[in-house]
Order: sequence, then C-alpha cells, then structure tokens
Amino acid sequence: MTPLHWIGNFFREQLLMIPLPVVRGIFLTLLIVLLVWVLALPPAITTPLGKPRRLATNLKTWAALSLIVQILIYSVL
Amino acid sequence: MILDTRLLSTLDTVSLQTLDYVVILAYLAATVLLGVTIGRRIRTGKDFFLGGRRLPWWAIGMSLVATDIGGKDIIGVGGAAYDYGLAVGNFEWIGCVPAMIVAAFVFIPFFWRTGVYTIPEYMERRFNQGVRTSLAVCWLIFIACSLGVMLFASGKMMSELFGWEITACMLITAVLAGLYTCVGGLAAVVYTDMIQCTIMIGGCFLVLVIGLVELGGIDGMVTKIETRQQEISRDGDGGERMERTSLILPVDTGSPFPWTGILFGLTFVLAPAYWMGHQAIVQRSLGAKSEFQAKASYIWASLLKSLIPIVIAVPGLVAFALDPQLVDGDRAVPMLVSSLLPTGLKGLFLAAFLAALMSSVDSYLNSGATILSHDIYRRYIRRAASDEHLLIVGRLTTLVLVVWAAAFGLTVSRMEGTGIYAIFQTLLAFFQGPALALLLTGVFWKRANGTGALAGFLGGVATAILLFALSQESVVTRFSLAPLFQISEPYLYFSVWAFLVSTALIVLVSLLTKPETEEKLRGVTYWTDSRSKA
Repeated sequence: MTPLHWIGNFFREQLLMIPLPVVRGIFLTLLIVLLVWVLALPPAITTPLGKPRRLATNLKTWAALSLIVQILIYSVL
Repeated sequence: MILDTRLLSTLDTVSLQTLDYVVILAYLAATVLLGVTIGRRIRTGKDFFLGGRRLPWWAIGMSLVATDIGGKDIIGVGGAAYDYGLAVGNFEWIGCVPAMIVAAFVFIPFFWRTGVYTIPEYMERRFNQGVRTSLAVCWLIFIACSLGVMLFASGKMMSELFGWEITACMLITAVLAGLYTCVGGLAAVVYTDMIQCTIMIGGCFLVLVIGLVELGGIDGMVTKIETRQQEISRDGDGGERMERTSLILPVDTGSPFPWTGILFGLTFVLAPAYWMGHQAIVQRSLGAKSEFQAKASYIWASLLKSLIPIVIAVPGLVAFALDPQLVDGDRAVPMLVSSLLPTGLKGLFLAAFLAALMSSVDSYLNSGATILSHDIYRRYIRRAASDEHLLIVGRLTTLVLVVWAAAFGLTVSRMEGTGIYAIFQTLLAFFQGPALALLLTGVFWKRANGTGALAGFLGGVATAILLFALSQESVVTRFSLAPLFQISEPYLYFSVWAFLVSTALIVLVSLLTKPETEEKLRGVTYWTDSRSKA
C-alpha cells in the first residue's frame, strides 16, 4: 500500500456512506442552482444588442428550458 | 411480436442491398459537393480558420453536437447502454448541458471578444509563450493521435459489421473528409456537420422507433428489461449486471460510471474542460457572426444534447430487451439494424454512422491545421505571414494531417493488441484536467502568472500519467501493489486528481513568484475585460 492507496481508500469509504437518494439530491441541487443563476442573469448578457427584447430571442428562455429538461430527467431516472 | 432472439445473436454482418448503397453514395456525394462549393468562397486565412467570422448560430450549434458524437459513439454508446444501462447517458446530459450553459454565458463571449484563433493563443496573451507552446503541443499530439485512432476504430467497426476491407474504409473516409476540409476550411466543416447532425439523429431515431414498436412501446421495453434482468439474476450471473434504467450508480458499481466519477470527474472537470477549452469545439464558436450568436450556438447545442442519449443510448436498452445474451455490447446496435431495418433504411443508418465519423474527422483536421498554422508556423517560423499566405499554410497542413491520420491509423491497426489503443483513448484525460486549471485560474485569478501556469500544467499532466501507470496491471503486478482504482477504466478519476494537483501548483508557484503587470493583464481576465465587468 502506498500513501496514494490510503488517500484513495479514505475518500472511497467516506463516499460509500452517502445514500443514493442523497446523491440524486446533490445532482438536482447542482442543476437547480444553475437554473437560478441563469434566471438571474441581466438582459444585457442574454439578449441581442440593439434589438427588441422578446421571450423567443432571450437566451435565458432556452437555457432555462434546457436545464428544466435536465431536472426532469434526473428526477425520474 | 418479439423477434427470435436466437437468430439475432447469430447475426455476423449487416447485409446491404443496392438501394442501401445508393443512399450511402447520395449522402457522401451531397456532403463533398457542399464542402467543395463552400470552399470556392474562401479567400483568406480568416475565412479558412474561422469561416470569415460569418457563421450563424444554428449551424454552429448542430456542428458542435455532430463533432462531439463520433462514428464509434454511434455503436459504442449503444453498446455501453447494453452492458451497463442508461448511466452512459450521463455523458450527454449532466456531462454536457451544465458546462455548455456556463461556457455560453461566461467563457465563449470572453474568447470571442479577444479575437483569438486558438486557446493556446489566449494562453500566451494571458501567461507566456511556454504555456502556449506546451498546450499547443499537447493538443497537436492529441488531435494527431485521435485522427488515426478514429479512422482505425471506425474502419475496424465497418469491416466487422459490413464485411468491408478495413484499409479501404480508413482511406476512403480520410480522403473524403480531407477533401472538403482542405478546400473549405471551418465553414465547410460547420455546414457539412449540419447535414451530418441531421442524418445522424434521423438515422438513429429510426432504429429507436422501430425497436420500440417491436417491443410494444416504452412500457413494453421497461417490462421486458425487468424480466430479462430477473432471468439473468436467476441464472446466477446477475452480479455483473447493472440497474439498467438508472442514471445514478453507486460508488462500488461494476461499471465505469459510479456517481463519484460522473460528478467529480465528468461534470466538474472533463465536461467544462471540453466545452470551454477543447480547440475543436471552441474554434467554431469563435467563427460566429457576433458575440450573441456565439452564445446562442452553445444554448442551441445544449437543447439538442438533451435528445442525444435517447437516440444513441436507448437503442442499446432496446437491444437488451430483445436479446440479453450478446457476448459483445458493441454488437447491440448492429443487431437491431440488421434485424429490424428494411432495405434502404439500413443504408440510411450507415450514412448516419459515416456522418458521425466524418463530422469528427473534419473538425479535428481543421483544428489541428489551425494550431499548426497559428501556434507553431506563425509563432516560430514566419511571424509576419499574411492572411493569404496562412490560407495556403492551412490547406497544406490539413493535407499533411490527412496523410498522417491515414498512416497512423494503419500503424495502430498493425499494433492492435499491444495496449496502444487504450493509451490513446485515455490521452485526453491526461491533460484536460490541467488545461481546465489553466483556463480557470487564467480567466478568474489575476495573481496567477506564467511561471505558476507552466509548473501547474506540466505537474498536472505528470500526475495523470503517473496515475495511469499505477492503474496498469503490468505495473501493479511488477511492484506487488493493489490497484489504485477499483473501477474499470478509471480515466474520470485521473482528470480530477490532475486538475487538483495542477490548480494547487499554479496557486503555490504563482504566490512564490512575481505577479504579471497590469498592462499584461488588460483584457485577458474576467476582471480586466471591460465587457465582462459591465
């Protein structure tokens, strides 16, 4: 056993103790945090310069849709 | 009615009829014609390497997806789903979408504004020449080796599935993709990728729909999978079989996809490194018409990505539901094609396979040529080269890469069984972690300097290589050690450790050495770029 084996086994044992429903919660939290960040982005970042601001041309709409699909997938599967 | 599975297991090759060949030839002719037509408008190096910065978001988005899915993935992802279940879908879902969205709003607009052609070029502006050259050399080695391995793996697959001659498959693919890439540059790559993306998704969707109809729909598939799993467990070899419809697998799973590897290795390291710093990926968004279109291309690609596991991984589950006795998972999708698709549609599936292969080969050729031309030729040989001169250099280097790819592919085919293939498959994991550390510290931490960056990058690569060596059976046996990792193919873990070591070294060495000047940092970090701050 090398020090690398000790370090690896230590992390492995700690991570083995986390139940899978909690892991699913971690995956979902990550996606939800990202969704909140996207929704909070200022319009200057998510809309084209000098054009009228519409829902369809706001990248926030499509990025949020993409993340919501992911949240649904990781909630079910 | 469920097919006779004993018959399915014994199928050797997919037999094609005249109509199938007509479909394949029509696809190949349309692709090459489009690429060559675009090539007639190319006048300068900027046109060749960045599509003249006139590329639209919808074409780039589809090109991003097509580049990411290679020929081997069409068969291999279905095969992995057959062997291990839907967990392989993580690579396209959580292993792509979050990183793509962060890249779209933070990194891509930043790189687009700097006007660079390559990521190594950004590294010299931010750090120094040594960092640029180290990264450029790593990318070149990776791209050059990947091209040969891609051609070999796909040629071998075509040879096994369709009974074609392996060398001919490799050479035809290299020549056709090389022809339009050499003539049309990035614009040809992006627009042909768009056709290839459509054919790829369409062809795979067809296999999925026909397979699901055969099983009586999604419910029929799930019920059949449960029955098959119970049968396998009863027969006593169920220990190796995974929960096939779950994305999240335990740490001690027998598959290469435990949740720890997926979260820490894939989601936090490999995916951001790939979508924010992979030259073949980032380059096409640098050619977007505007900063907004560069962002939009990534968001569009992230939406398309949600579909990909459904069309390339679920067919593996369909195959498992139909016949769980295949010895090799990679036979799963060909089995479906052979047994379910009628004449003509088999040709369409093969066109989808070729589309996936060619869309990756053309992108790697173009990116390799861009790095050779900009980071090596223009940096070390002819600094004052004009844009027109760079166009000639770009075409010549593409040609050289085509010849190299074919020659290297043939060499790999002769060295099969020596383990060389596994090394090249893992090559990206060697430097993706350190490359991400460079990107993150470079963009977000003003105190990071060139000396720290170079030390961190080289230290990280050395760490990944050491971990790879320590997980090889021959090394473990020789030094009487226990295996360092307890899952098969632990490349997800190499990247995590390489990233951590690299980041620690960059921080440590930077703090011990002189900071960069304010002048040097202007416009190259998130905090010194006026638009990012705004």
